[in-house]
Amino acid sequence: MKPPRRLLAWAVRNLSKMFPSKSTEKREMKHLSDQELMRLVQAGDFSPASEIYDRYSSRIYNFAYRFLRNSEAAEDATQEVFVKMLKHANQFHGDAKLSTWLFSITANWCRDYLRKADNRAKDSEDVLVTLPAPSEFSPDRTLEQRENQLRIQKALTALTPEQREAILLSRYQGLSYAEIAQISGCSEGAVKTRVFRAMETLKKALAGERGGDRCLNAI
Amino acid sequence: MSECDLMRESMPLLLSESLDPARRELSHQHIEQCAACNREWLAYRETWRMMGDLPEVEVPARVRERFLASIPTVDEVVVPFRKRPAARWLAQAAAVVLLVGGSYWIGHRGAAVRLQPTPATINAVAPYSIAESRVLPARSVSPNIEGRPDIQNVSFNDPNPNDSEIGLSFDITSHVTVTGKPTDKSMVRLMRYVLENEDRMSPNRSRAIDWVRATYSQPGNADPEIAEALGNVLRNDEHQGVRIKAAETLNRMPGAMAFETRAALIQALKSDPNPSVRLKAIEALTSLARSGVTLDPAAVDMLRQKASQDDENLYVRVKAAEALSNIHP
Ligand SMILES: [Zn+2]
Repeated sequence: MKPPRRLLAWAVRNLSKMFPSKSTEKREMKHLSDQELMRLVQAGDFSPASEIYDRYSSRIYNFAYRFLRNSEAAEDATQEVFVKMLKHANQFHGDAKLSTWLFSITANWCRDYLRKADNRAKDSEDVLVTLPAPSEFSPDRTLEQRENQLRIQKALTALTPEQREAILLSRYQGLSYAEIAQISGCSEGAVKTRVFRAMETLKKALAGERGGDRCLNAI
Repeated sequence: MSECDLMRESMPLLLSESLDPARRELSHQHIEQCAACNREWLAYRETWRMMGDLPEVEVPARVRERFLASIPTVDEVVVPFRKRPAARWLAQAAAVVLLVGGSYWIGHRGAAVRLQPTPATINAVAPYSIAESRVLPARSVSPNIEGRPDIQNVSFNDPNPNDSEIGLSFDITSHVTVTGKPTDKSMVRLMRYVLENEDRMSPNRSRAIDWVRATYSQPGNADPEIAEALGNVLRNDEHQGVRIKAAETLNRMPGAMAFETRAALIQALKSDPNPSVRLKAIEALTSLARSGVTLDPAAVDMLRQKASQDDENLYVRVKAAEALSNIHP
């Protein structure tokens, strides 16, 4: 580039109304891709933080909550993942998917959390958070749904952390085995095996319960 | 492993619809013909469906608040404004420039460039002196400009023509020079601020635009915020000469900036009172189309409208028609 060499001196006297407000900036952020937002963060501009949070917090929080079954830990995980994203923005490569990177940080956090012996003890918080039942469902269906939720949560806890990580990312986050392999730091073959074993366990756990239901219904 | 074992291992992939079409087809054929796998498949499918009953939990609002509150505030420095008559000074007192050690926050806390905050009472503000001069690297300055600081005596400079760094100097309470690459976000934001807030009556805005053109029309330096700021000048400046310059400069922006510039150009073509500005807008839209940007229907419509508008300046009508023939040969 060739900027003019001479000094251009001029005065700024009045302030105009043209400077964009925060809300304009926020609106503009919506148009930017994940990669563009991260480029700003990498340049030391943290103003995209809330936009990135809004795009991914729900997925991160739900993953952590299902993984750890502890809402307090899920909150901490979410907080720390996004802070880490700002602090270590330079480790994010523009050609990667932001979701994959964020899930890598989250999964790491969750694994660390489980490794601490104290946390394993208070691991299963038996609180079941349910959404209000949609009105079109019959009471039977609602009851069945709630029972299913409890069973699934229990069945998920019975999995090994590796299997749980793999099945949560595959079933609820819709990630490919290649992405999961990157997040979990293993081969795609290992992901395939983990998901398969997780499904085998879940199938048995859930089918057993269902069988019981049928007997009850038949009486 | 038997075919059935292999089949079962890929059932989760079949459920998440991530098998390629050929393997999906093969799997379904096997499942239809093999009773054992069929049973397994139904059980898998039911398990997968039941898993869908697990609800999405809403993230508590406090998590968001906590995160946003934790975004670095460590190296914030408040620069008070230059002393001025009391009433105006008080009105301005709420507006502050925050110079935040943005990139320094990470691992360089000690190295952040700091300005000492001055207590915010009128008496305590030291008289302004040009002798106080500070140089700040752009990367140590937050790109977020808070409030509307009254910056004065803005100048652009190129301290060392052999590197890619530029400098932007101005007075707040002291004379500040921010140096850095044209693409540093803080430099872009300052430039944008200067472009959009410069005194309308000053003939110097057009010189600022010249400078922006020389610096930011190169593809490597192009920045959407600069393009947007130029668009705002084109929309709002009361001087036709400045608007013409803004349109000309937009014409020089790389096609990648089309998203930011198009709307301002269409608006100028539609309603700028000066035919020369409308002509420049047509030229810029034509360049965009030539650079491979697909013009949106609004731009094409506006060109059609102008080409056929009876009371439009004849030269503008001809140019609009020419542009259309260039866009649709
Ligand atoms: Zn079979």
